[in-house]
Amino acid sequence: MTSKIINMVEKLKDAEDRLLESMFAAEPIADGGFSKRIVTHIRRRIWVRRLALPVAMLVGGLIAFKPAMQLVTVSSTLLGVVPREFLEIPASVLPQVESVTFGVPLIPMIVLSAMVIVAGILGTRLLNE
Amino acid sequence: MACDGAWEIVQSATLLEVDDQSLVTLAVVSQDTAAYGELIRRHQSRVRNFLRKLAADPVEADDLSQEAFLHAWDKLQTYSGRGSFIGWLLKVAYTTFLQSKRKSKRYSEVLNEVGYVAEQQSGRYTQDADEVSDLDKLLAVLTEEERAIMVMSYACGLSHREIGDATGLPVGTVKSIIFRGKKKIRTNFDIKDHKHG
Repeated sequence: MTSKIINMVEKLKDAEDRLLESMFAAEPIADGGFSKRIVTHIRRRIWVRRLALPVAMLVGGLIAFKPAMQLVTVSSTLLGVVPREFLEIPASVLPQVESVTFGVPLIPMIVLSAMVIVAGILGTRLLNE
Repeated sequence: MACDGAWEIVQSATLLEVDDQSLVTLAVVSQDTAAYGELIRRHQSRVRNFLRKLAADPVEADDLSQEAFLHAWDKLQTYSGRGSFIGWLLKVAYTTFLQSKRKSKRYSEVLNEVGYVAEQQSGRYTQDADEVSDLDKLLAVLTEEERAIMVMSYACGLSHREIGDATGLPVGTVKSIIFRGKKKIRTNFDIKDHKHG
């Protein structure tokens, strides 16, 4: 009710208001490609944003590849120092019939893979946010 | 390629019948740039006219309008649907104008510090007397805030409440600024004798 009264009061314009309106009135400006220019700009920005994540992951992967491989080599060297009985998994744990002993470089590879997957998931989530 | 063009024509013909609120929803939910393009086509004239009355020259005003529409696209999800879309757009345009003014003020302060003296402060108000329109003379007696509010009210046809939303001022303050602006115009110009149009 109150807002209706306010609107009615606003509509009751005097001659001075009408004169000001006529003085402030301006010719409509033709679009002339204005809207198309902005839409093109926005479309380009959307594509850049879409491409940013895969490109960043690719570049990051390329940069991280060499240090990651070095990390694997160093880890496997260090694991050679660890006594062999710590790294052996008893055959009863595994479904295979024959007893299997895992080689030294396999465990760090599994750990590293898990770390890369977790980092990847966290990184993707972070970039999305 | 021709098929794409035909599809665009069909799409824009359909969008012509859609109201502002639905176009905003389309643009926000499905990132539909065609829907936003239709919104720009509908409102560009009022936004550009608004900024042309505030900025120093039309080219600068058009650059600001483009910037304002890009900001509006980024902030489109914040439009709640309360009040008209043009009111919300003018709010974004006014904020863009104020930000650019602040930037250019900072820039001129830096230039002054290094001893540069600007040859021409403002394009509009240093024009020859003959070139200055009646409206320019009228706007020149107002402060920047008064000018923006008077333009929103008399050129863009916004209600006092919409102006309040756009400028972040209470409705009462908007009314008193309009009153003050009218008084200034009345005292500086005999507007009753003014023959316009």
